[in-house]
Amino acid sequence: MGNHQLTSLIRMANQIAANNTHIGDEIAEAEMVANHMTKFWARTMKVEIKAYLQQDGSELLPIAQKAVSLLKD
Amino acid sequence: MIQIFDPKVDYNKDYGTPASVSENLITLEIDGQSITVTEGTSVMRAAAQADINIPKLCATDNLEAFGSCRICAVEIEGRRGTPASCTTPAEAGMKVTTQNQRLGKLRRNIMELYISDHPLDCLTCPANGNCELQDVAGEVGLRDVRYGFSGENHLQAEKDHSNPYFSFDPSKCIVCSRCVRACSEVQGTFALTIDGRGFDSKVSPGQNQDFLDSECVSCGACVQACPTSTLMEKSVIEVGQPEHSVVTTCAYCGVGCQFKAEMKGAEVIRMVPYKGGQANHGHSCVKGRFAFGYATHEDRITKPMIRDSIDEPWQEVSWDEALNFAATKLRGIQEKYGRESIGGITSSRCTNEETYLVQKLIRAAFGNNNTDTCARVCHSPTGYGLKATLGESAGTQTFDSVMHADAIMVIGANPTDAHPVFGSLLKKRLRQGAKLIVADPRRIDLVKTPHVETHHHLTLRPGSNVAFVNAMAHVIMTEGLENRDFIAERCQTEAFNAWRHFILEERHSPENTESITGIPAAELRSAARIYANAKNAAIYYGLGVTEHSQGSSMVMGIANLALATGNIGREGVGVNPLRGQNNVQGSCDMGSFPHELPGYQHVSDDAVRARFESVWGVELDNEPGLRIPNMFDAAMDGTYKGMYCQGEDIAQSDPNTNHVHAAMRALECLVVQDIFLNETAKFAHVFLPGSSFLEKDGTFTNAERRINRVRKVMPPLAGKQDWEVTQALSNALGYPMNYNHPSEIMDEIAQLTPTFSNVSYEKLEEMGSLQWPCNNDTPEGTPIMHLDSFPIGKGHFAITEYVATEERSTRKYPLLLTTGRTLSQYNVGAQTRRTDNQVWHDDDVLELHPQDAEDRGIKDNDWVGLTSRSGETVMLAKISDRMQPGVVYTTFHHPHSGANVVTTDNSDWATNCPEYKVTAIQVIKVNQPSEWQQRYHEFHQEQIGHLDSARRDKSAESAAGE
Repeated sequence: MGNHQLTSLIRMANQIAANNTHIGDEIAEAEMVANHMTKFWARTMKVEIKAYLQQDGSELLPIAQKAVSLLKD
Repeated sequence: MIQIFDPKVDYNKDYGTPASVSENLITLEIDGQSITVTEGTSVMRAAAQADINIPKLCATDNLEAFGSCRICAVEIEGRRGTPASCTTPAEAGMKVTTQNQRLGKLRRNIMELYISDHPLDCLTCPANGNCELQDVAGEVGLRDVRYGFSGENHLQAEKDHSNPYFSFDPSKCIVCSRCVRACSEVQGTFALTIDGRGFDSKVSPGQNQDFLDSECVSCGACVQACPTSTLMEKSVIEVGQPEHSVVTTCAYCGVGCQFKAEMKGAEVIRMVPYKGGQANHGHSCVKGRFAFGYATHEDRITKPMIRDSIDEPWQEVSWDEALNFAATKLRGIQEKYGRESIGGITSSRCTNEETYLVQKLIRAAFGNNNTDTCARVCHSPTGYGLKATLGESAGTQTFDSVMHADAIMVIGANPTDAHPVFGSLLKKRLRQGAKLIVADPRRIDLVKTPHVETHHHLTLRPGSNVAFVNAMAHVIMTEGLENRDFIAERCQTEAFNAWRHFILEERHSPENTESITGIPAAELRSAARIYANAKNAAIYYGLGVTEHSQGSSMVMGIANLALATGNIGREGVGVNPLRGQNNVQGSCDMGSFPHELPGYQHVSDDAVRARFESVWGVELDNEPGLRIPNMFDAAMDGTYKGMYCQGEDIAQSDPNTNHVHAAMRALECLVVQDIFLNETAKFAHVFLPGSSFLEKDGTFTNAERRINRVRKVMPPLAGKQDWEVTQALSNALGYPMNYNHPSEIMDEIAQLTPTFSNVSYEKLEEMGSLQWPCNNDTPEGTPIMHLDSFPIGKGHFAITEYVATEERSTRKYPLLLTTGRTLSQYNVGAQTRRTDNQVWHDDDVLELHPQDAEDRGIKDNDWVGLTSRSGETVMLAKISDRMQPGVVYTTFHHPHSGANVVTTDNSDWATNCPEYKVTAIQVIKVNQPSEWQQRYHEFHQEQIGHLDSARRDKSAESAAGE
């Protein structure tokens, strides 16, 4: 597997996080980001971003990291 | 004037003057017959409603009465003289005589004068058989012209053939002013005038220019209004009058105009806007009216073709062979790479039935949700933003609603170019005095239009939309301009309080955001007051709102404004997305998005899926599929290998062309269904010939949720309508589909989509069109949405934090490029480039401000290179003070111009709609095409060669057979 999709996914996750920082409660914000991913991301995208978080995850913003960790298997 | 749908009105009849909308009825007597009409109706129209047809020349029912020809004179008991029936309002108790000896003589006398200066070439005249002057001469019994024909006349007046679609022959003109009035009243361009006085009076485009060089926008309103052959379609001049007609719906923009396709056999002679069209009321633009010749263009591909590799020539094969080849390849890919390794894209240029069928094929036959549509790259943020705030992914109004608006805010839309027929209606309302606010980086034509005052043109910087909309809301809330009753009754309290807390923060004030938006604070405050204080305020927006990294936030910000001021749920208000293509609304409604089944029903909803599963007879995936940009990424990574693409040219229209082309090359099987070998088809392995809108039955849903019928007027050139091709592909894949007609597909849509449950072809025939939701609650459709409540109960204020785009001007890329479209061309240009519309726009050009040009030593028509972090291209420069310094603009209608080579893969945070409207670039003077253009040219030549060899092989084969 190459890294085009992963690069995009990291960027997308961070962008979703950046646009959902108005609540002032990191857990609630992470839940919003996770809900967005659950609702709109394809299965393969979710699997890939979860695998990335487990292996590294450093390029994800803290809220995005938290959100990915909340994604269900 | 708004014309309300009334089944009693015969839209093929000319009633002489417009209908009058009034609740008061009056009764009068015409020729001894008692007639009841609405107050304000002219005597002429009242008579026509009773089928008493008073002769007329200068009157027609889409123009206000003018009273110049005097042919329609009548006698009214108790009144002196013979008043013109067109300008005389009917009054209660009036007794009118329309025919007697005195009136007959008067009319004959008038006709004698007209005919004494008119060529007597009726038998060879193009209007023969459809000439109002000829008809009236017959009606009044003209037998003699006592003045003779040797006096001074206009018979040798010079003709003007400059417009590609119609000719102007002033020798036939009776100076009735219908053309001039149509240009002013209906189109609102004011390009025509009557020049001179008395005998010298003549119709003149502009200041003695020919039509092509004048301000004429070629909408055709004048041609339609002309009662003689003075203004006549060249196609009619060439081949004669049509012999039958079929009412159908235009396949260009999201206005959804209805036309009468006027035919000779299976050939379209002309498209005449249909008065019964509930979106256009008999008006048209240059595209719908004239640019239909592409349907029979020699570039049409009418034979299925296959090849194993894109480096090989095409082979023309039978439908069966092509479909089996595609099915075998796609199934082979799934066996090798997994069920999710293929998907498909449908287009907003296809009908509802076609897009429904494509997503059904993908979900049921491919077994995954990898379905998307080109709305991804235009209005997907509208779907997201309006659903989140108002509860439904659609605009709230009818087009006619604009006639009740007192303040109109146009944000990131260019209606006179991109939605011209709505643009004309909007201009009509503005001429009546509605206030106009335009928010656009560019000075669009609407800002400077005759007899319209733009109160504010807010020249915001590309990328600053959300800061702008937040500042508008901040002014409304801090100055107490909100509608508290509406908020209390119709909106969610908790969400409102959170939003209120957010928006009141001082950082959103116009003064604090001025440095971001570039809009002077005082001007923004004034605009906000106009919007909030108007009795009815409406927002119209386009892709300048959606195609940003915060497209969805901006849509929600717009909805917030409407909710805060209570501008929802009645005529004259609302949130109105102007949809780019004819069926953007419909393709979204039909479940083309990877996360939603038809009717915006989420794939993860077990009950919803169960209903579809029971009708479709398969198990459906409960996870969303890939969106278009995700498909490209997956293709580059080697996990996405096959694609079915119907009617969409992603290789030209999608951003970052180099990336898209690399993804296309990585596919093992690309099946393209289209009418031309478009840019995407050059990367395809299977080509399935499509049918134009003239060759099929179906429906389109326009921007006001109006479902209009598309009717077949000629047989499909390739033998199959598009839905039949999708059905055949599905059958070849082993998933049976057996529809006999698109009406059966619509029946299935109605069965599965709660907002469509009362829609059927039968009902569409009866009603003319239907605006969804159309179900048991609203059996005749829903013109205005959210009257008493929202689908989510109460309106939801969404917090819209401004997040600056990553794409910003730098020393290396100091200019911001924004892209759009022009009046004469449409989208990727596949249709309009194959028509005479090319005379107006045969190439994409880069518009830039004089200062930016001077800084770079650029003059008009210089070649300039555009470089962004994505790529480079070269086009001609056009210096224009429509631009603000630092912002440049181009269109993407021509593939070789490579506008999307430069645009980036940045996209909306919520929907991945590309950020077409903001690309940081540098522009320099150059003297040769870019490397990309040279490569493009070589690839194009190679692919055309592959096509030509297929055609040569086939003709050699058939010659040998003979």
